[in-house]
Amino acid sequence: MNKIAFFDSSHDLPEEIISAAGYIPYKILGDVHASNEPADQYLQNFFCPAAKSFFTEALHKSGDWSGIVVAQGCNTTNRHFDVWKMHIKTPFLYWFNAPVKNDEIALGFMKKEIKAFIDALESFFKVKIGDDKIRESIRVANEIKKLLQKLSAMRSTKDIPNRDYLQAILVTLQQNRMDAVASLEQISREWSARPAFPSGKKKALLTGSDVSYPEWMDTLDKCDVRVVRDDLSIGERYFSGLIPESGDPIESLARYYLNIPRPATKPGLRGRIEFLKSILRTTPIDGIVSQNLKFCEPFAYDSVSVNNALKEDGHKLIHFEREFTPVTDQQIVTRLTAFTETL
Amino acid sequence: MNTKNTANNANIAKEQIKVEVLPHAKDLKSVMLYYLIKGELYSKLPWKKTAWTCAGFPVEFLWAYDMFPLHPENMSTVAAARKQSLRLIEHTEAMGYSRDLCSYCKTSMGAFDTGIKTTLGGIAKPDLVTCTNTICDTHWKWFQIMAEKMNVPFYMFDIPKWVSGTSEKKLEEYIDYVVEQFHDFSAFMERNFGKKLNEKKMRKTLATSTELTNLWREIYEYRKAVPSPYSAAETSASFFPLVVLPGKKIGVKFYKKILGDIQMRVAETKGTLPEGKEQFRLLFEGIPFWYRMRFMFDLARYGAVVTYEPYTYSFSPVKPSADVPFEQALRAVAKIMMDLPYSYNLERRIDYFNNAVDEYKIDGVILHENMSCRPSSTGMIDLKNAIQKEKNIPVLILQCDMNDPRAFAEGPIMTRVESFIEMMRENKKKRG
Ligand code: SF4
Ligand code: SF4
Repeated sequence: MNKIAFFDSSHDLPEEIISAAGYIPYKILGDVHASNEPADQYLQNFFCPAAKSFFTEALHKSGDWSGIVVAQGCNTTNRHFDVWKMHIKTPFLYWFNAPVKNDEIALGFMKKEIKAFIDALESFFKVKIGDDKIRESIRVANEIKKLLQKLSAMRSTKDIPNRDYLQAILVTLQQNRMDAVASLEQISREWSARPAFPSGKKKALLTGSDVSYPEWMDTLDKCDVRVVRDDLSIGERYFSGLIPESGDPIESLARYYLNIPRPATKPGLRGRIEFLKSILRTTPIDGIVSQNLKFCEPFAYDSVSVNNALKEDGHKLIHFEREFTPVTDQQIVTRLTAFTETL
Repeated sequence: MNTKNTANNANIAKEQIKVEVLPHAKDLKSVMLYYLIKGELYSKLPWKKTAWTCAGFPVEFLWAYDMFPLHPENMSTVAAARKQSLRLIEHTEAMGYSRDLCSYCKTSMGAFDTGIKTTLGGIAKPDLVTCTNTICDTHWKWFQIMAEKMNVPFYMFDIPKWVSGTSEKKLEEYIDYVVEQFHDFSAFMERNFGKKLNEKKMRKTLATSTELTNLWREIYEYRKAVPSPYSAAETSASFFPLVVLPGKKIGVKFYKKILGDIQMRVAETKGTLPEGKEQFRLLFEGIPFWYRMRFMFDLARYGAVVTYEPYTYSFSPVKPSADVPFEQALRAVAKIMMDLPYSYNLERRIDYFNNAVDEYKIDGVILHENMSCRPSSTGMIDLKNAIQKEKNIPVLILQCDMNDPRAFAEGPIMTRVESFIEMMRENKKKRG
């Protein structure tokens, strides 16, 4: 099965349509171990390094993909699209203008965008994407979401290193979704047999920029921080809700994507804070880890209001900026260790 | 600092060449005062309403609701010009905002929090906060935070992105989406303020606004003349009415006077530099360094004149005629919101710049790679390469910031400018 890769800075692209077209939706996640030098030729040093890594990956791997879709998310998506168009060789480069708002007008627009996306895939790849196929891919997507919900819940009760949780999601985002169901079922069986939550670890809520490489999750573990809840797109936002399986599948997808908890790349600051508060009400948490990838503007803007609101409620919180690197940042380790001691 | 280059500086800038400003340039002061005083009045009188808004927003809408538009970005430029921006930025950073965020936003947040005077860049609490995401995400992120903080209604227009290769069919769909939001905005205004859109007022405002932008575009036609009668040393300030006062007669009057001065200069084959001194015609892309406006004047020392800036031109789109059916006018406004030269996609931007190089007889291009403004800096490397290749003229990328003086390293910047001047000199020689 061939892959159609996508650049999605949160969880905005209805990847179910790609599955329904008979392709593997492959989320571009970059490679923290590879140099960003190829991207540096076209994108300056003060741009988000994750987005630069996505671009580098696309420069290297586009030949393996049948096409690339870019979904509107943060500012990097729409502006970098043009740079991608100029330098990346791909037979199919598509812009999916996910609306930024989520009211009824935006819903109508989202439906049109999904239909246009279907038309573009059908006409370019000579496939037919009927409602039945979309429904089937929604069903599989929901199976994945339910399995991830189950795995996510185990974080509070079992010994699940942070890396394992992130890897379960990362693998899901890049493989055939039917195979992902099988992998997640296997992981679920394996995790069920794990020992109980280790007594020396602190339970944390992780918020801020997406984390796309496990080495950073290791740093948290090294400091005895266990992430048991989060609001990341490569995280709970991906599976916090299910896609309605009855009715018009395009309407279902549009509603689902516009109604999942809002990330910093979309308006709804109060909603973001409320979502985090609801997590804190329902899950016992020792502290909050708020982190911002260097040059990731949407989360940097939100972090002050979000963190102040959570601190005002009496929660313990640490905030820091991190680089895009697999190397452990000793300064962060020192600060995190000191923070854990206060919990 | 490199001492070899300092010596070079001395050789290049032997002469003190001064920009000769237009006779009516000083009238801008009264236009600005009008704006500031009127803004203060609207903010103080309980029955009057004000709105914060941003670049790329059709201000005519606000006038049609009798809402006075206050521009935080614009007030940030005032703060920078009055040498206040650094302390305000640092104030905001102390509140937890990252050094990497837009310095307009941080200046404005600092100005609001410290409550400095409007003449220094301060801004009053509005009744409404409204913006778009057409130019950048910063606008809505910043405005949303402030609306929450001030507990003021917030309305944001979601403008789809006209990326490279967007089809006409898609554009029409995008326009439909924006027009629907105009109607939604009307309902929002009625709900929150009991105000209905005054169509007659809107048409009148659009008519005046059209007059204003037409005048500005006419002024730019004259800027094509050699020697250039008007440079960025002046336009960087005089484009102000286009941003904050479209639809107001006071701006029209000012531009008529400026245009008169320019026509006179062109008729006499006079330029903004003294006779025979214009050697290099430049295109400057990006927001000027507001805390260091002298930069534009300093270029005169090398016989260089900034003849064209896409940034200042951006604020003068062709507006819909006042007599077209209202729905058609709304569609035209929606298209304008997606179609600002400042946010052109890369393919259009390259064509646009290449045309400008020809039309304005440009010898070299300075691109301000603005660390505050990632949207406008994206694609700049490709833009540079394309202009150099297709137009065979030097292009200088200056990494800096429009409001944060910490980013302006005087020595290295001027050294690079001087090398650039030398490159233009060599290039002109080669080209004969
Ligand atoms: S890390 Fe932040 S800036 Fe980078 S792509 Fe993601 S949301 Fe955008
Ligand atoms: S400088 Fe750039 S990022 Fe800042 S408000 Fe203006 S357009 Fe947006």
